[in-house]
Amino acid sequence: MIPNVAPAPADSPDPTSAALLPPAPARAGRRFSVAKLFTSPASTAGVIWLAAIVLASLTAPLWLPFKTEDQDFTAVLSGPSAAHWLGTDELGRDLLSRIFASAAGTLGTSMITVIVAVGLGTLLAMLAAAAGERVEAGISRVTEIMMSLPGTVIILAVIGAVGTNIPLVMAILGVLISAGIYRVMLGQAKSLQSQLYVDAAKVDGVSAVGISLRHVLPGLTNTIVVQAALIFAVGMLIQAGLAFIGFGPPIPEPSWGGMIQGASQHVYDAPWLMVPTGAVLALTVLAANAIGNALGKAPNATASHLPSAAARRQRAKAVAAIAAAAPTASSGEDEAGSKDTLSVRNLSVGVDSAGTGADTGNGVRLVTDVSFDVEPGTVLGLVGESGCGKTMTALSLLGLLPSGVSVTGGQILWNGRNLAAATDKDMEGIRGREIALISQEPMRALDPMFTVGYQLTAAIRRLRRTGRAETKAEALNLLEKVGIVDAARILTVYPHQISGGMAQRVAIALALSGRPRLLVADEPTTALDVTVQAEILSLLRSLAKETGMSVVMVTHDLGVVADLCDRVAVMYAGQIVENGRTDSILDNPRHPYTLALLAADPHATSAADMPERLATISGQVPQPKDWPTTCRFAARCQFAGSACMVPVPLVPSGTGEGLVRCVKADELAVEGLDWVATDVPTHRILDLVETRPAEARTTEIRTAHVEARPAERTAEKDPA
Amino acid sequence: MALFIAKRLLMALATVLVVAVLAFLLVHAMPGSPGAVSLGAGASQEAIDEVNQRLGWSDSLPVQFFRWLGAAVQGDFGISLIDGRSVSADLAGRLPVTASLAAGATVLSAVLGIALGVTAAVRGGVVDRIIGGVAGMAVALPAFWIGIIFVYLLAVQSPIFPATGYVPFEVSPRDWALSLALPVITLAVGGAAFIARQTRASMLEALQQEHIRTLRATATPTWKILYVHALRYASLPIVAGIALQFIQLFGGSVIAEQLFAMPGLGQAVQNSVSTHDAPSVQGVVVIATVVVVAVNLVLELATKFLDPKLRAS
Ligand code: SF4
Repeated sequence: MIPNVAPAPADSPDPTSAALLPPAPARAGRRFSVAKLFTSPASTAGVIWLAAIVLASLTAPLWLPFKTEDQDFTAVLSGPSAAHWLGTDELGRDLLSRIFASAAGTLGTSMITVIVAVGLGTLLAMLAAAAGERVEAGISRVTEIMMSLPGTVIILAVIGAVGTNIPLVMAILGVLISAGIYRVMLGQAKSLQSQLYVDAAKVDGVSAVGISLRHVLPGLTNTIVVQAALIFAVGMLIQAGLAFIGFGPPIPEPSWGGMIQGASQHVYDAPWLMVPTGAVLALTVLAANAIGNALGKAPNATASHLPSAAARRQRAKAVAAIAAAAPTASSGEDEAGSKDTLSVRNLSVGVDSAGTGADTGNGVRLVTDVSFDVEPGTVLGLVGESGCGKTMTALSLLGLLPSGVSVTGGQILWNGRNLAAATDKDMEGIRGREIALISQEPMRALDPMFTVGYQLTAAIRRLRRTGRAETKAEALNLLEKVGIVDAARILTVYPHQISGGMAQRVAIALALSGRPRLLVADEPTTALDVTVQAEILSLLRSLAKETGMSVVMVTHDLGVVADLCDRVAVMYAGQIVENGRTDSILDNPRHPYTLALLAADPHATSAADMPERLATISGQVPQPKDWPTTCRFAARCQFAGSACMVPVPLVPSGTGEGLVRCVKADELAVEGLDWVATDVPTHRILDLVETRPAEARTTEIRTAHVEARPAERTAEKDPA
Repeated sequence: MALFIAKRLLMALATVLVVAVLAFLLVHAMPGSPGAVSLGAGASQEAIDEVNQRLGWSDSLPVQFFRWLGAAVQGDFGISLIDGRSVSADLAGRLPVTASLAAGATVLSAVLGIALGVTAAVRGGVVDRIIGGVAGMAVALPAFWIGIIFVYLLAVQSPIFPATGYVPFEVSPRDWALSLALPVITLAVGGAAFIARQTRASMLEALQQEHIRTLRATATPTWKILYVHALRYASLPIVAGIALQFIQLFGGSVIAEQLFAMPGLGQAVQNSVSTHDAPSVQGVVVIATVVVVAVNLVLELATKFLDPKLRAS
């Protein structure tokens, strides 16, 4: 009867599309805001209901038609009537009057539980977070014991000792529940306590109590309100339950549980009696729960990798639309009919507009109008910073876009088929067998619950239809092929028992299990140690050569490109900005963004662990919803001018078959201008501007840029 | 693993001991001395003193506690002050009732809850919203209210099940099952809703894991991803949720037993608390704690066994 407050089983986060967009600067903890109460219809209704019932119960003496003890013997056990809107009980007492007369007491004493439970729980959590591991372990141990107690039985024993002193009983109930609240709060309090500004405050000599109150508590407010709402509901239910079994307020006094108990005696002759009290109680509990759930919804849920059946149906419709819109596959065949050639044509990927009603990301485009080819046996690099749409482009090749995101236009031509218009069933025949995937974090790419051997053999058997013995031999063979020496042992271990580099080798073996013709590698070395990166890269290079498969390599590391790729497509803000042969682009970059990437990584070393945000390019990739219709790089480009304030097409760059998306590409090439490293004194930038009087107008803009820059730079350097 | 089990056993023991002390203190705070309770109103002071003397009421608290504990570990919880019967014997007769009730409700909640939760997560869309809405309602409605409605519908309107009473298994397995049906269903409504929410959340979380994408990239059939890989990943929090739920359902039996007039532990707590029958209260609190703690221990070990990381270490 006493619900233990388990960490967030209530409403799980909906996999909203918001998660797919680059996250906005995150704050640890969430502050409560009244506006959030009204974000969902259910919670709005809940607030209105609670407000109404509190108001009605507080003003009850003023408007109630009857006194709680008034007996109307002409209408015993009656249903709703003009005199008695909600009917009467066995003594002819007016139900409406009794319900509302007892509401204030029920709600008020439930608040006692809320205050004790949430107050104590929060206090303990803040104490544990502030006072270090020893104290935390002690408190956690005690709360663990409290949570494993049969709470109901103990509360009843308490009632035996103190009598039906409802406020006291509800307070003790609060103490029991506080253990659950502590569990919910602890993690959050700890993360708040470890924030940088808390460290700063400590250095400034702010006391532990001051830090807890000023920096930790505010971040907990949202959770506090969520838990308060949920516990309020729990308190009401328990209180009603106690009254129901005879431990409510002394007899003539009405209580919701007692009234339901009374009604239960008449379920045979007056079932209606059950309805009004039950409904008011249930609605009040529902209202509190709705508020708690609305506030407690995780703001940034990650998207599902396997959309629900409903989402898949929706996607199938979208795919059919694309299939109808695109020219038939046969016409594509003429264009790029040769075997194992991948031709991506005008691919666009966007967040589904029929999302879950999240305020962000409705219909936002993540990839726009991307085209490239991958010839058999060649390696294409997709380069750019995070948030440029590289991964979305890569995943669309396998039809593995996360739920909430889908291809919105264009074609992905592979062996005469348009994969952008293929059904999931069709894709299942292609994934693994023709196109395989390696992802960024090998540890997370393997199922932690199953052994390496199980995962590998299941894939081999599925993709090659081999027998048992043959499968085992092939698994060993594959593991050896990816450079694992003790393959037999590795087959028997779980993913958590091997290193990251080893896990990536296993993941590569898994990808090879269906003898794919195209390998999509999404930042395969980013998460690995520097030394391991080189090994994995050389493994990929030799595998590509050996098997003759083509590779699409997503990376932000030009070193990887130089090392591995035949061709490269530089992506910025969902577009390809430059595209061509690797050597010509590295030697002779045309687009300012490419220049900037090179400037950030002058030696193009393979081991360079380039930061997410390049130090030499101030600012960051704009959020997809903020992409301008003009040149998308303009806000950060050192060469931006008024000529750039138009949509810029991708045109031949003049070097080989390369393409570039910049109005000034030729001009820059002629003048041999380089991206200015950020440490360059500002006057040089001004000099550059002055050499071009035609653009005097932009000087102001640029000066503004320059002025803004030093501040930004210091901000960047601070953490280092 | 052995160390882990040993630690947990110690914790469990500590829990029971803490509760024993707590129960002892609470009982001593009850109004009325054992003599007064046992002899009822109108007894002479001498008679009351005489009974108190016999029960050692005037000894110091620690002495009384250890005397009681010494007897309790041998399974002797003393004599009821009300009817003079052995508390242990009484509870032994009641335990099977509550155990069948709580176990039945837990199993039913788990089966229903997992099925509904998985369906909600897997189907999504309208189905998800309907299940979510129903679960929300089920959590908000008090068990006793639901129970009465069931009585009205399934025992009064269409008499499928007996409205009240309990038939021991030994008497008639069929009637035993029938007599349990309504109370078990009543308790399972809330339990299933809770587990359904837990399951849905855990399944969705499982499906957000990157290895699901790897499985899809290697052409694993959807049913296998859902029911082998994702469910396996979700099984840890689900079992933890079931363990929590068992505690609640065990507590909920107090209400179900009152509602359906079943002679279980819940009824014993309620009676002995109302009559201030100290030895019975003490006994039933300790027994309830032992059962809950033991079941939790087993389920916790099960979760640890399900987790390869902990199993290996
Ligand atoms: S078009 Fe203008 S703003 Fe855009 S990259 Fe070229 S020079 Fe920079």
